[in-house]
Amino acid sequence: MAGCFKMAGMRWSVVRSFQTFCISPNISESLCCLFQQVRLKHQNYPRLRNPIWFVKKERTKYEEHLTQQNKSFIRDVVHDKYGGPPAIIGGVSTYQQSPLKIQPMDRGSWFLGCRRSGLIARNIGIYPMWLKDGTRVLTTLLQVVDNHVIRYIPPEEFNPPRTSVRNPKSKRRLGCLLVGAESADPQNFTKEYCGLFKDSGVMPTKILGRFLISPEAVMQPGTPLYASHFKVGDYVDVRGKTIYRGFQGVVTRWGFKGGPASHGVTKTHRRPGNIGSGGEKARVWPGQKMPGHMGNRYRILNGLQVLRVNTKYNVIWVKGQGIPGGTNSIVYIYDTFLPLRKPKEAPHFPTYYPEDEEPLPDEIYSENLHPFTAPTIKYEENV
Amino acid sequence: MIFNQLKKMALPNAARKLLLGVKSSFSLFQTTANAEYRYLSSVSNPKGLLSLEKEEENKVAGHKNVVPLECRFVYPEFLPDPRLDHRNSLREKLERMDMMNRRNHIDIPEFYVGSVLAVSSSNPHAPEKVTRFVGICIQRGGCGLRAFFIIRNVVDHQGVEMFYEMYSPVIQKIEVLRLEKRLDNELLYLRDALPEYSTFPLDMEPEYLPEGSAIPVNPIKVKLKPRPWLERWERQELKGVQDLGLPKRFYERAAAVAKPWEKYDLMAEYRESIPAEEQEEIFAEVYSQLHQLEVTRKIMKRKRTFVKPKKMG
Amino acid sequence: MALSMWRKLPKLMCVGHGFHTSPAYSHIIKLTRLRVVDNSEIGKRAMAEGKPPKCIHVYNKKGVGTIGDKVLLAIKGEKKKAIIVGVKQNQPALSPKFDSNNVVLVDDNGTPLGTRIHVPIPQVLRTILKEKNVVKGADYTKLIALASRFV
Repeated sequence: MAGCFKMAGMRWSVVRSFQTFCISPNISESLCCLFQQVRLKHQNYPRLRNPIWFVKKERTKYEEHLTQQNKSFIRDVVHDKYGGPPAIIGGVSTYQQSPLKIQPMDRGSWFLGCRRSGLIARNIGIYPMWLKDGTRVLTTLLQVVDNHVIRYIPPEEFNPPRTSVRNPKSKRRLGCLLVGAESADPQNFTKEYCGLFKDSGVMPTKILGRFLISPEAVMQPGTPLYASHFKVGDYVDVRGKTIYRGFQGVVTRWGFKGGPASHGVTKTHRRPGNIGSGGEKARVWPGQKMPGHMGNRYRILNGLQVLRVNTKYNVIWVKGQGIPGGTNSIVYIYDTFLPLRKPKEAPHFPTYYPEDEEPLPDEIYSENLHPFTAPTIKYEENV
Repeated sequence: MIFNQLKKMALPNAARKLLLGVKSSFSLFQTTANAEYRYLSSVSNPKGLLSLEKEEENKVAGHKNVVPLECRFVYPEFLPDPRLDHRNSLREKLERMDMMNRRNHIDIPEFYVGSVLAVSSSNPHAPEKVTRFVGICIQRGGCGLRAFFIIRNVVDHQGVEMFYEMYSPVIQKIEVLRLEKRLDNELLYLRDALPEYSTFPLDMEPEYLPEGSAIPVNPIKVKLKPRPWLERWERQELKGVQDLGLPKRFYERAAAVAKPWEKYDLMAEYRESIPAEEQEEIFAEVYSQLHQLEVTRKIMKRKRTFVKPKKMG
Repeated sequence: MALSMWRKLPKLMCVGHGFHTSPAYSHIIKLTRLRVVDNSEIGKRAMAEGKPPKCIHVYNKKGVGTIGDKVLLAIKGEKKKAIIVGVKQNQPALSPKFDSNNVVLVDDNGTPLGTRIHVPIPQVLRTILKEKNVVKGADYTKLIALASRFV
């Protein structure tokens, strides 16, 4: 925030305008407008504008010398304000209902090509399941950890720093939905960060993610999102941060073969070898595979089938085992973008509302999956 | 030892408790080499060796442990993979739930490496039939739903092995024909042994052990075929194998590459095992159900064995 | 080149003297020694003389044979076709792994040369050979009829 002041202070008029804007009730909106103005004036303004939710999150923890009484008083205040303890108790999300502070929003209806919100989940491991024909499949378990809608930014106000690379002038405008996961004690976070959660009434969360959605798929801030957001049999894309392996050589990073172990070879067992040719092209070409940092970047795995959903523990079983990131890492789940695997029928739209629909069973299995509660498979003669 | 001297002195209860805690960790040091207790990484004195102290500890704790510690040998697959970066309590819980659901449909009896099993399974290639295979269990492993075992037999002078996933829904029945242990934790050397050591008739009758008796350990020593072998057996400390009869240089090399200090690596043992406290938690969750299943199975078995004599002719 | 080298190598280089090709994988590839398990005359004699046949071609795209694949054998100076009916390689669950790589000699039409198979053969063969029938036009299911035992 301080940086913004300095940049804006280059011109007196800008500062003036800033002051006038400050009087307006919705500061964040006015800030957005301010950036737009400045950008139009200076073409060489730095490209990167941090989105509004990029504020300092962690607070410096210093000794506050609170008495026991004071501590319990703070705990009571937090409890009263957010209506309950933090959300994950014994590994199970509690989904405290927060009082919805904003006027109810109209629910849109689904259409083909509509983009829904996704979920934030934790990859909790892999184990085998069996299909009805007896084949074994490895499934990854994704636990949806206490997701709540935090804020919606409509398309006209949402001005992301990077627009679509493929089609920059696309008419299709998407809104931005902030979703928080794993609420925690607000004392751990800065004032600015807690302010992001003010309107939704949700306790500040450890993880904050954004999903680009069609304006029809908007949800009221404070709405909890459950694992049953996805139906069994749907296809999803899972995005996660790959395991960080540090600085690695070409054998580990790119799967080069390396050199022979013996037969007079010295110091050339894991080296890359030649990296370019001479003559006209006497330079290293861009994209040449070389040693360097490996992992710790976002990767997405497309088109995974949802095989099973546990509504009690909010766990989704997806088919496959190559989900980026290690066990207990955070992943984002989206409806798949693969054209042939997109849902033909309406999913839960904009999300699954337990109060509106019939209660779901604890375990929902895909049609071709063998539930462990079912008896032993017996094959019948095909006539 | 110092402990015994200290024990005689009158100590407040809390101090005694603390002392016993320290002591148990010391006693672990003494027993690391004992393979029987390989699943334990802390506390709990192994039964038999330190039974006296255990009684005392129970008195101090004020309650008796309900879940028997033998569970970890009878149901080893309920212990999760000890690798810390693969662990998650909720996943393990769901896995155990699924395992129990499967166990409600099929008896997975107590068996060990060296026991003779008969496994019936449905086979897509022979529909409406039951495929049954008999053999000696040469390996058992895997955690949770990945649990597996390999059984081996020699049928028509041809060595055959079958790999089974314990929780696969195509397995119909697992029978234990002979319940016993061998001297080693893996019997992969039977692949290189003379065929008579892994030959079992396909129509073998089950042998019943008297109720409540300890699992017998078969001290048989197997004779291996001459080299070539699948593995360098002389480099593994095998107890169930007769003298290999190799030239001296083989043993010298084996001694040179041996790592006898590894069994004293307490940290490695900690990493590769589940702490006893956690084991108790895990088995407390499933033990009552497992016990119930076992009891019903015993009742069923008794019913089955009693057959009304028929009038002949 | 490789073939000529094999011929020149003395007996020392045979299996069991520290010379391995791919024992860890137990692949059935060219030059792998196989075991004939039917009672055909040529097969019986080859096994009795201690000259088990060599695989000189695997009729699939991978070049590594598995259960149900057709191979070309060099057996007693002749070329014969055979079907693999059991392998040493590690197998998936519920599929048998054998101690030797077994084959049954067949002619070009898929008719076995012998009249009996004296080891157990895997159940999977039923399905695999039935499928191959349709594709190739040769009838391999006669082999199934010879089997004395399935595992």
